[in-house]
Amino acid sequence: MDVFRVEAAAMRMSIQDSGRAGWARYGVPTSGVMDDHAAEWANRLLENPLNAPVLEIPGSGARLGFLCDAWIAVTGAKGKYPMWRAVHAQAGELLEIGELETGLWTYIAVKGGFESGMRLGSASVYPRAGFGELLREGDVLRAQKAEFALPRGVSARLAPWAEQRDYSRPPTLRVWQGPQWNLFSEAQRNRFFAQSWTVSPQSDRVGYRLSGEALAHEIGELISEPVIPGTIQVPENGQPIITMRDGPTVGGYAKLGVVDERDISWLAQVRSGRGVRFQLVNEI
Amino acid sequence: MNWVPYGPKGLLFRFAERVGDDAFATGCAITAELEQNPPLGMIEFVPAFTTVLVRFEREDQAAAARVDLLSRFERCRSATPPPQSVTEIPVVYDGVDLERVAELHQLTTGAVAELHSATLYKVYMLGFSPGFPYLGDLDARLHTPRLASPRTRVPAGAVAIGGEHTGIYSVEGPGGWNIIGHTKVKLFDPSREGAEMFLLRQGGSVRFVPTSE
Repeated sequence: MDVFRVEAAAMRMSIQDSGRAGWARYGVPTSGVMDDHAAEWANRLLENPLNAPVLEIPGSGARLGFLCDAWIAVTGAKGKYPMWRAVHAQAGELLEIGELETGLWTYIAVKGGFESGMRLGSASVYPRAGFGELLREGDVLRAQKAEFALPRGVSARLAPWAEQRDYSRPPTLRVWQGPQWNLFSEAQRNRFFAQSWTVSPQSDRVGYRLSGEALAHEIGELISEPVIPGTIQVPENGQPIITMRDGPTVGGYAKLGVVDERDISWLAQVRSGRGVRFQLVNEI
Repeated sequence: MNWVPYGPKGLLFRFAERVGDDAFATGCAITAELEQNPPLGMIEFVPAFTTVLVRFEREDQAAAARVDLLSRFERCRSATPPPQSVTEIPVVYDGVDLERVAELHQLTTGAVAELHSATLYKVYMLGFSPGFPYLGDLDARLHTPRLASPRTRVPAGAVAIGGEHTGIYSVEGPGGWNIIGHTKVKLFDPSREGAEMFLLRQGGSVRFVPTSE
């Protein structure tokens, strides 16, 4: 069934699910939602499978017009509409992603999940490989028809407060030692964990660039090694780059650490210009 | 052979110190070993020039597989290289960086094409973008540093040199290698199914065939 029409598109909005692990050896990035915590809650509220395809919207500017009555859930970046709850939207309603208070990525789930072609086992759009396309004005999004009702006498279903994240206060993100940990001096490693890093505007689904007091090193370029979402690479300019969902599968910069996969969702929601801190979780 | 953790659920094995025939043979043998006998809970493995990353669904699975994988990979070191499946790729040597590469090495553009097409290349790995092959070993007379600032758009099919390697851009996108030619052969075809999307495989061989169009 046709769920809604894109009346105005945000830059780079797309359908994503939990991604296509297993294909990195052919050079295919994992893709998938940037904030898996928010996307999973949107699906959970509607009793969808947690990896059902959702609409991912970066920033503001999107406007969606409902073409039928549908159960939806909106999670992620904080906007001025009911969030983190199951909502019954009606045909003719408009949902506008206007000014956001906190965070960057908004997720919309629909009961039954959005229809999207499966490529290499995933609905995640990755335009560079021709796996689907970014959404444009006029596109109509369809969903599988599925029955849904809240239990009799229940008028609202919300995510617990503790799960409704305040992205303006990210926790200190957990980091594991990376393959080149020992090539960095203790002073450089301490400097990484001691400061608040600013997320640079050149950050996207491919990678988040951090700027701060440089981690000068003379490790040089290495033989390319695998990288995964969360890998912290430090080029010679000393400003770290963290690989994100659409990032390359190999990289030749020194890898200081790996952001714990549970904290990538927090990192994703840090807007450019805002700060983020890290803490070490393991000792070898 | 050694390993380091790569997050709590990943193991990165280093099976060689430098790129070359030994690393190639060992890397291919490790891939065959993982394909034929995947450890419990392995969700993905990513082979590179001298390392292979093995990722697991859970931490305890990574810990359980560590010792066994180390000894299995150790046995792969004496492997003979895989039989060569040669893919011929016709190339027009007309890239935007061809003249600069030739000047840098004090060669004619024709000599660059000749040297580049004289080698039977090994596919060390696929990576960077879907189906992009890292090919070696490139004649030392053609080693060329990457561009200081990458281009934002390189077309699919661009044949290029990056440092000590050569490769073929499989999809359009940003890139920092020196473009010396182009091919019409599709390295990546999303209209096909599964692994059929990728023309080349780690362990394969490539011969470039100069052509005028």
